Amino acid sequence: MVREVAESCVDSLLTEMVASYCNRFYANKPELAARRIEAIGYQVGHQLSERYTMERPRFSDHLEAIKFICKDFWTELFKKQIDNLKTNHRGTFVLQDNKFPWLERISIDPSTDKVNSAEDDSFTTAENKAASTISMHLYYPCGIIRGALSNLGITCAVTADISNLPACSFVVRVKA
Amino acid sequence: MIVCVAVVGHQNNPLYIQSFTEADDALKLHHIVHCSLDVVDERVNNPKKSGPLLNETFLGLLYPIENFKVYGYLTNTKVKFILVTTDLDVKDADVRNFFRRFHAAYVDAVSNPFHVPGKKITSRTFAERVSTIVKSFGLTSAV
Repeated sequence: MVREVAESCVDSLLTEMVASYCNRFYANKPELAARRIEAIGYQVGHQLSERYTMERPRFSDHLEAIKFICKDFWTELFKKQIDNLKTNHRGTFVLQDNKFPWLERISIDPSTDKVNSAEDDSFTTAENKAASTISMHLYYPCGIIRGALSNLGITCAVTADISNLPACSFVVRVKA
Repeated sequence: MIVCVAVVGHQNNPLYIQSFTEADDALKLHHIVHCSLDVVDERVNNPKKSGPLLNETFLGLLYPIENFKVYGYLTNTKVKFILVTTDLDVKDADVRNFFRRFHAAYVDAVSNPFHVPGKKITSRTFAERVSTIVKSFGLTSAV
């Protein structure tokens, strides 16, 4: 029995969740909002990894678990695999997705904030604002990755990097 | 007949334990489950002995004790499932099938957003589902 959810619903839910945490619950405390969103992702990842690792042999090392995240886990979530995996063989892994579905439909409105600030400043502030809004949307997938890995016995920290939309890379640092 | 099933967390904390006997021997069965945890650890840390079973979730017969047989299963997330049965001629396929269904029930139970990871499973639905799986154990082979 496989139950599926429409992609657009998940997209809207994510946008709405980020918006409510950033603008309503913790309007003046972006760090707190980020932590809460990451925690939700953590729980989701924790539970999903339990389900998706059913019927497969146990992983013998970290690389195998990360490969599972890149291939099967990502396919279950996004119907595609991670495009590139890099590692320094010392506990840091970079998972690069060239077309991350949750960023695909994010558009940036350049007209915001132009009215109040000076003309030359406005471009940079708008850009900064856009970057911080986008990074807010990435705390949730970071939490999912961290939750999944920690359930597989790997404690780690996950951060996200936006290079140019809709590509993004997740940096996993395993804690020894 | 299955007399006892248990789910044990990754820090060897009991998540769910249920016996299915009329007699008042829950304590004895819990003791058997407790002892089996050492056997699971030994299997996992000395993979040479298990040979081809390496890294498979199903650990097979852990040990026979008195008139019971104890089977084990270890998931990717280091959660252990233990099965204690009185049947003497158990087919491996039946046990595998049992653990597969048990695992599915467990996954559904912990996917409940109100379940706190690492805490005991108190869901009544889970308990009912487990007792159905336990009752149907070995029926296919009897036919």
